[in-house]
Amino acid sequence: MSTSAAQLTGADASMARFEKQTTRYGSLTMSAGLIFSLLGPIYLVFFSDLDIAPSMIWVAFLAVAATFGVLWIVEPATYFPILGSAAMYQAFMIGNISNKLLPAAIVAQASIGAKPGSKRGDLAAVMAICGAATVHLTSLLLFVGLLGTWLVSMVPAEVIEVARLYILPSLMGAVLVQSIVAMKSLRPTLVAITLALLMNFVILPAAPALAMFATALVVIASILVSWLVRDRTQFSATTED
Amino acid sequence: MQPQLVLAAGDPSSTNIWAIANTPFLWFCALGVFAVIFIQTVLYSRAAKVAAPHVDMPARELKESFRAGAVASVGPSLAVVFVAIALLALFGTPAVLVRIGLIGSVSAETGSATISAVTMGASLGGADYTQQVFAVAFMAMSLSGAMWMLATLILTPIMKKGGKSLAKRNPAVMALIPTAALLGAFSALTIAELPKSNVHLILVAVSATTMALCLFLAKALNAKWLKEWALGISIVVAITAGYFLHTAA
Repeated sequence: MSTSAAQLTGADASMARFEKQTTRYGSLTMSAGLIFSLLGPIYLVFFSDLDIAPSMIWVAFLAVAATFGVLWIVEPATYFPILGSAAMYQAFMIGNISNKLLPAAIVAQASIGAKPGSKRGDLAAVMAICGAATVHLTSLLLFVGLLGTWLVSMVPAEVIEVARLYILPSLMGAVLVQSIVAMKSLRPTLVAITLALLMNFVILPAAPALAMFATALVVIASILVSWLVRDRTQFSATTED
Repeated sequence: MQPQLVLAAGDPSSTNIWAIANTPFLWFCALGVFAVIFIQTVLYSRAAKVAAPHVDMPARELKESFRAGAVASVGPSLAVVFVAIALLALFGTPAVLVRIGLIGSVSAETGSATISAVTMGASLGGADYTQQVFAVAFMAMSLSGAMWMLATLILTPIMKKGGKSLAKRNPAVMALIPTAALLGAFSALTIAELPKSNVHLILVAVSATTMALCLFLAKALNAKWLKEWALGISIVVAITAGYFLHTAA
């Protein structure tokens, strides 16, 4: 690659303009998406006569925040170096980042032979996510919005009842195995499962009032204990880098 | 606090979730999110088209990237669709479209909803899963999703300005915290299902085994599609088992 100084500044300037544009478009559209995503539940809570006290929302939100709050910050920080600033605004609105958007971006970069993190690589990633978004929006609208709603209305009520009753165990067992395999970290896995067993079979039967924050407590304890029992050789090696 | 303005006639103690979850206004909000993402996609593609010639990138390569991204996401998208349909009975179409299909992910959003239901002394999908519980769960998961977006909106410009990001400064801690948090959350949520009934216990085992089998086969046969579809397959196998156990009981 022999690029003259003039070309280089031209390329840099146009990438800078691209970054500026996408930051503006990205933050505006993301703010709009954020508002639309909150309007629905706000409508249900405040204007649908469901007798919801503000304390119910606060307690539920606190319990969720204590469980997933750390990921609100850690996830954007983790994906930023991989996605780049433009794609960040796409990724956190389209969702399914690790199982769909990242593979799409990598495949696109490979197919035109662009390195991740290079200018061409960044543009390829953004275009790949645009392509993924188009496919995803279309298939969701068609197959879930139209077909799915129709399908569920055709299924006998008792089957729906069974699905509703048992969807959680049917989903969670698989999700747990999936995350254990994806994380590939033995110690935190053992810590988390032990603490969860302890919570559900020892602590909760003794103190049922803790149920509200059971998940959050397991999460916080898992982080602390995993840190205490971490593989120190591995950790000192990485921090020295 | 009793609102004066009542736009939709909800019944706090009714368990007819669909009556409230599929109201037109919720559809309007869901379609609003779709429209916003569509507009974003158009604006981004246009910006990329303007920038590309200056970095020696022919328009052909942009098209190819778009196409590659689209093709690569067909499988994963349909897999998400499949799981989303299974959750329609629980949340109704608009909430599933926005929370499961778009902004969030199946596991985090269902986890948030479960946690919220528990704070109200109810269980998601159980006999005490009323319209009121649904509304609170929907609000809590949306607020949590909003925090993710807010963090992205605030952190992206900061990380772009650079300096050393937290991830660079201490990679070990940054990797350990989310790993432990996710494993803790999903262990707690899964194991909380076990004491509910014998059927729950068996279904957790069926679902976990199916997933393990799918992931093993995906690796052994080098079948990437199987990994994508594993969650959908596990749900269908477990729900089918649940149907037979339920009707047999």
